[in-house]
Amino acid sequence: MRTYEVLFILSPQVPEEETASLITDFKRVAESTGAKLTNEEAWGRRRLAYPIQKFTEGNYHLFVFDSDGSLSELDRRMRNSDRILRHMIVRTDLDHKRAEKLVKRNPKKERARPAPAFPATPEQKVPEAEPAAVEGE
Amino acid sequence: MATQMRRSGPGEGRPGQQGGPGGQQGGKKKFFYRRKRVCKFCVEKIEYIDFKDVKTLQQFIPERGKILPRRISGTCALHQRKLQNAIKRARIAALLPFATD
Repeated sequence: MRTYEVLFILSPQVPEEETASLITDFKRVAESTGAKLTNEEAWGRRRLAYPIQKFTEGNYHLFVFDSDGSLSELDRRMRNSDRILRHMIVRTDLDHKRAEKLVKRNPKKERARPAPAFPATPEQKVPEAEPAAVEGE
Repeated sequence: MATQMRRSGPGEGRPGQQGGPGGQQGGKKKFFYRRKRVCKFCVEKIEYIDFKDVKTLQQFIPERGKILPRRISGTCALHQRKLQNAIKRARIAALLPFATD
C-alpha cells in the first residue's frame, strides 16, 4: 500500500460551486482506480510565491490517498484541466517509514541524556498528516 | 585551524623548538569565536520534513530565496538533504519563491 499526497492549486477565477464539483470529480477519478481517500484539506485562497499564468492567488487543496496502484489517471486529468494552475503528486509512505526508523534508532544513542523518547515516537506520525498550522495562513 | 594543529602535533614530539612556536603564532592569527551550531531537526527530533510546512522551511530561506547552506545553518548532512528536497517541492507548489529580488 502506498500513500500519496496530491496538492493542487485551482484558478482563483473558478466560482465556488464549480470548485466543489471539480474537487468531487477528482476524488471520484482517483477512487475509481482503487485509491482510498484518507485525508482532505482545503487551504482556501493563498498568495502564490510567484505568479502562475499571471495569477497571484490560488485556491489550494490537498488530498491524501492510500492506493495500491499509481494515480496516473488523476495525474493526466489534472494536467489536462485548465482550471488547475498547478498540481503535484508526491509519494510519502517510504519517507515516513524511514523517518519512523530514525526516530526509533535515535533514543538509543541519546540514552545518556534524560529524554522521554518512547511516548513521542508513535505520535510523530500524526502532525504530518494534518499540518493545521498551514491552514490558517 | 586543523592543519596548524597537525603541524604543531609532530613538532612537539621531535625538536620542540621549531614546530611549537610556529603553531602558536598561526593559532593566534587565525583565532576567531565560533558559535556552536546544532542541527535544528536533530534537536527537535523532526525526521520527516514536510514540504507543506512552510513555517519551518522559511527559516532556511534567506531574503534572496536561496537555500541556506549547511555551513551557516548547521543542519546535519542527512537533514540538509531532506530539507533541500522539501524546499524544492514547496517551490514547485508556489509555497516558496524560486528567487526574490
